[in-house]
Amino acid sequence: MLTAFRNIKEEKMTLIRFRASPEQDVDLSRTYDAVVVGSGAAGGMAAHVLTSQGMQVLLLEAGKKIPIEQELRSMQWPYDHPRRGDAPPGYHAIRINEYNIRKPPYAKGSAFKHVFSYVGGWGGADYVKNILVDEKDHPFTGTKYAWVRARLLGGKTNIWGRLALRLSDYDFKGKTHDGYGEDWPISYADIEPYYDKVDLYLGISGHKENLPHLPDSLFQRPNKLTASEVKLRKSLATMGRTLTPYRAGVTTDGVKNKYRSKCFGRGACDRRPGGCDIHAAFDSPTGLIYPAMDTGNLTLRTNSIAHEVLVDPNTGKARGVSFVDSVNHKTYEAKAKVVIVAASTLESARLLLLSKSRQHPNGIGNSSGHVGHNFCEHVMGPGVTGLVKDMVGAPPTLDDGKAGGFYVPRFRNLQDKQPGFIRGYGFEGSSGFSLFPRSAWDTPGFGGQFKKSVREHAGAFISMGGFGEVLARYENYMDLDPEVKDSWGIPVLRFHYEFSDNEKKMCEDMATAGKEMFEAAGVEVVGVDKNIRTEGWSIHELGTARMGNDPKTSVLNQFQQSHDVKNLFVVDGSSHVSASCQNPTWTIMALAWRSCEHLADEFKRGNL
Amino acid sequence: MKISRRKMIQAAAATAAAVSLPALAKAPSPNPKPLFFTPAEFALVDEMSDMIIPTDQQSAGARAAGVATFIDARLAESFEKDQPERWRAGIKAVEALSREMHGKTFMASTPEQRLALLTRIAAAESDPKGDVEKFFKEIKSGTIRAYYTSKIGIHDDQQYKGNVIQPGDYAGYDAT
Repeated sequence: MLTAFRNIKEEKMTLIRFRASPEQDVDLSRTYDAVVVGSGAAGGMAAHVLTSQGMQVLLLEAGKKIPIEQELRSMQWPYDHPRRGDAPPGYHAIRINEYNIRKPPYAKGSAFKHVFSYVGGWGGADYVKNILVDEKDHPFTGTKYAWVRARLLGGKTNIWGRLALRLSDYDFKGKTHDGYGEDWPISYADIEPYYDKVDLYLGISGHKENLPHLPDSLFQRPNKLTASEVKLRKSLATMGRTLTPYRAGVTTDGVKNKYRSKCFGRGACDRRPGGCDIHAAFDSPTGLIYPAMDTGNLTLRTNSIAHEVLVDPNTGKARGVSFVDSVNHKTYEAKAKVVIVAASTLESARLLLLSKSRQHPNGIGNSSGHVGHNFCEHVMGPGVTGLVKDMVGAPPTLDDGKAGGFYVPRFRNLQDKQPGFIRGYGFEGSSGFSLFPRSAWDTPGFGGQFKKSVREHAGAFISMGGFGEVLARYENYMDLDPEVKDSWGIPVLRFHYEFSDNEKKMCEDMATAGKEMFEAAGVEVVGVDKNIRTEGWSIHELGTARMGNDPKTSVLNQFQQSHDVKNLFVVDGSSHVSASCQNPTWTIMALAWRSCEHLADEFKRGNL
Repeated sequence: MKISRRKMIQAAAATAAAVSLPALAKAPSPNPKPLFFTPAEFALVDEMSDMIIPTDQQSAGARAAGVATFIDARLAESFEKDQPERWRAGIKAVEALSREMHGKTFMASTPEQRLALLTRIAAAESDPKGDVEKFFKEIKSGTIRAYYTSKIGIHDDQQYKGNVIQPGDYAGYDAT
């Protein structure tokens, strides 16, 4: 009781929240320097960089602006919530068997009032019910896909997993390395200064490892490891592999930003689908957008669903964006000298394809026919769970006061050459005590023995799951459904996508290698999951408007500028040429920073 | 929490009427009016949950943690009608088995008889067949979910150390 009281006092002393600057009135009669579509990691970064260069920017967000702290309630104990985190009756999260057995649209004919992606089924659906999109309003068609979307200011950055990794030339020059696919039109040296800028502006925690395939960031203090993780780290080192504390897009030492607190290791960060109500974890509104509004150069309009990039009939250049107000269903036009699309990999492709005109009959920026194609992401599912015997019966310790557990970087197809597959995968994992003793679900029996066993084993498990590179293939693509429309009458995406043999072979190896690594560390393997999760599960969708030097086989140049329309930029994950196996958010922001700096220079020179 | 609630009930009972005191003292859980279950069903769920997670030296059990009350409230507002129906059918199947095994209802049975019944339906946990075996899985997972999200489960039993501010160094070990 005393402890709880002290904590509340400390919070009041340190967690002072600032309101964002008053929003500027949206003036649709005026022509802005730039209009940005989307306010997530990419759109937020575009707003930050362009406004800091003095450009007048209008930011359109399809979703609403909600008091996010009231949604997330990160510090709330389960028993202080009337349904222990569950959403009210009538809310349904799509289950894995529904994804695999049924065909999209998954909410079609559903008796539930609201239907969410699988993320709503993690512990704490009530905390994300106003963040995730309702699949009833946002259908899609085609092949099965677990599409996770968040429509609100900041998009998915409000609930992202926070693993913040750099890519390397093993990724940017993947074709040079193994002959598959295309190299990126940039190398690590081009993007490195921008990774540094993102690190310093937003804060990242981690531990230096000096790995060529996973370059270090400019880290703030890292998460600590558990005793089990130290044991595995030592064992992996003898195999030439690495276990490193979760590299988190979380400021642990603080950043110069009045909207964000540093991480106090308060813990239980993994008990629901992301979210940090003290904004120590990066999110686009507090990290990028509110500071951009403080420059006086940013105008924000939420509830604005962009459905067409407008084209000047004389020049063929972009002249603005047409959008539907999600509340009143009226259509408006926003005029701008430069259009920046940052609506997320799949929504950006959708917007380009929707933007058909006389000059751009296949959709704007799509003379190559590559928009929607070369889709890639991360494949996941296989993983391993182990029991660390010397931790059985250990007294409880604070093991989850951090943004994440650990990361095992890629170790395949670097110096070696695997017979079954190309490219690689990494593992994300965690161990030790957590708010809920998950092993209770698998502990047999009942009574005193059951209860004692759950208690004694609560901190003794360690588990990790793989995230593997899905090869970018032209045959994996999305187009517009000719018939199905969303609740605002906008044609929806149709998926044509499935994993290839390379992903399947890689997943077999994940399970085998994971088991071997645990066994080598003396960890008793109690579970090996070999099942591949539904396409989309990683929420790392990439490709669909890739960069490249050749306008015939790519959509954007190295500055994420359309080959066809010089005042059109697409600055999100859709520009990525390959998926790597490293999580994309930090790369999305570093690339957007680089491109927008170039954009601002060109704008000032009158070249756009 | 547990103590204060009991005290409150005792105080209320004492002031209300002396005759009701023995009845309340015997009452399985401080929930006189279940929302979904009948009083008899509630008593069965309350008892069985407390057999699944009983009181031991470390912490109080499912009854004190209000497990049956939480399950009852969730079922009362359930949007999916098959879930409350499954519970009701399961309880019926338990009562049928109890009469078959011992010639009386579950709650009228002796503690040894109840244990024999629970042991029997728990034996098929890894591959349950029929309503009664499936019911064990249902009530066990309901009990786990409610107990380990309760104050007693989190603080007394698990002695969870997290969700506190760490003003200085983070707990744990350095990656060296």
